[in-house]
Amino acid sequence: MSSAIAMESEVAALIVEALHLEMAPEDIAPDAPLFGEGLGLDSIDALEIALAVSRRYGFQLRSDDERNGQIFASLRNLAAHIEKNRVQ
Amino acid sequence: MPDTFPLTDRASGDIMFYRGAEAITVGRFLADVAALASRLPQRAYALNLCLDRYHALLGLAAAVSRSHVMLLSADRTERRVDEIAAGYPDLYVLTDADAVAHASGWQPPADALFVTAEGQGEGGPNPEIPAARVAIIGFTSGSTGEPAAHPKPWGALVGATRAAAARFGLTGPGTTTLVATVPPQHMYGFETTMAMPLHAATASHTGPHFYPVEIAEALREVPAPRVLVTTPLQMRALLGSREALPPLMSVISATAPLAPELANEAEQAWKTPVLEIYGATEIGSIASRRTTAGDAWTLYDGIVLERDAEENVHVGVPGMPELVPLADAVAFLPDGGFRLLGRRTDMVKLGGKRASLSSLNRLLMQVEGVEDGVFVAPEDLDSNPAARLMVYAVAPQRSAGEILSALRRQVEPVFLPRRVVLVPSLPRNEIGKLTRQALATLGRQPAQDAG
Repeated sequence: MSSAIAMESEVAALIVEALHLEMAPEDIAPDAPLFGEGLGLDSIDALEIALAVSRRYGFQLRSDDERNGQIFASLRNLAAHIEKNRVQ
Repeated sequence: MPDTFPLTDRASGDIMFYRGAEAITVGRFLADVAALASRLPQRAYALNLCLDRYHALLGLAAAVSRSHVMLLSADRTERRVDEIAAGYPDLYVLTDADAVAHASGWQPPADALFVTAEGQGEGGPNPEIPAARVAIIGFTSGSTGEPAAHPKPWGALVGATRAAAARFGLTGPGTTTLVATVPPQHMYGFETTMAMPLHAATASHTGPHFYPVEIAEALREVPAPRVLVTTPLQMRALLGSREALPPLMSVISATAPLAPELANEAEQAWKTPVLEIYGATEIGSIASRRTTAGDAWTLYDGIVLERDAEENVHVGVPGMPELVPLADAVAFLPDGGFRLLGRRTDMVKLGGKRASLSSLNRLLMQVEGVEDGVFVAPEDLDSNPAARLMVYAVAPQRSAGEILSALRRQVEPVFLPRRVVLVPSLPRNEIGKLTRQALATLGRQPAQDAG
């Protein structure tokens, strides 16, 4: 398993745990949008994910990341963003 | 009440906005308003969808200067924007680069006007606006889900702003900075971000400040005294982030009931009083309390509550032509305040937005293949800022995922069910009603498909 894919499953597990989703982490498609069509998350979830990310990886999500890097465009994008910015 | 109020009662050199650490004075604002007002089309209504708070304020001020009515909708789903456009054929859409860049995937209509701050120099007209003229129309979801319009005259808007300023110590001298985390299209966000800088001694911050780190940075960028205007959900996220905040004059919370435990935690962490506002889109803010001091609400000056023969409570707001029914059940207190008696069971409030369960149920029943179905609110809806709805559906030919996809086109994201549970039948009684007790038994049955 490549490290990118390992990171994707780790972040999928984090999302499922933080949002109490009733699905298995591996059921989150790596390419599907997390918001809207796809997983169907919203702004309340974004705050929950931001909190879980700051606790686990030691950095804070920002609106600019959301706009420019489209971090919620897919699990893959979010995992890559975390890998790039994590401090722990 | 006077016959007119100016667009703003503040002095030309007063600071009314911060973009980052850069101060925007009233003089510069009036120049920006004049420039935008000259670009507005000859139409009666402005649907203001700007995301940047200063752009949103420019949209309001320019529209009001041209005697247009500003339409305020926190719901920007395609369905809602189309519904509003159908109701107000003579409207134009105001938007900005931020609104388009945002991840929601929303696209403005092709003829939307992009708001920018493009005034030259300082100063511009500060028109007197008739107090009785409708300045804004807010929208809620009506009983069948259609947008219900709530017009607000300019005088009511100015009166409410001044009453809130008096309540929270924002009348000057000196300017208090408000870092408000609520979208400007939400009535609470509108009052605190757009109306306050015009008629209270306050300056707003453009944002973005959605995530904890952004809220903390915005507060650090602006001078004291500072007030954080936020929601229970963001307060919880900010406390969880452990971001250090500069000294605050107060924290103001609204959009959802604030649990006393959370208020207490915030008061301890930030060494400041946590105040709470009670209001609704129809009436604006009407009362406040310090959450840790008890559950009684104190009305703003000038607000009157009346109970009619059918025990329904109506609110009198200075400058509003008629009494407005109150959505919540309340008990009057001897000192003129009130206590909330819990929400009406059909109405749910999530993420600062209200919807009626019966209208959500109607949308669910319209989904192809759904033979019966019901939205259910969790017991902790009023105390857990992250609580969500769920759906029980009878739909032998459809999967939970298909039902969710169909709902997504019709329902605002916060009201989408977190779970769709398919069941063989719903425990309706002999008159077809679903009681809470019967639904509770459903929750204990093994689900066919947890989706």
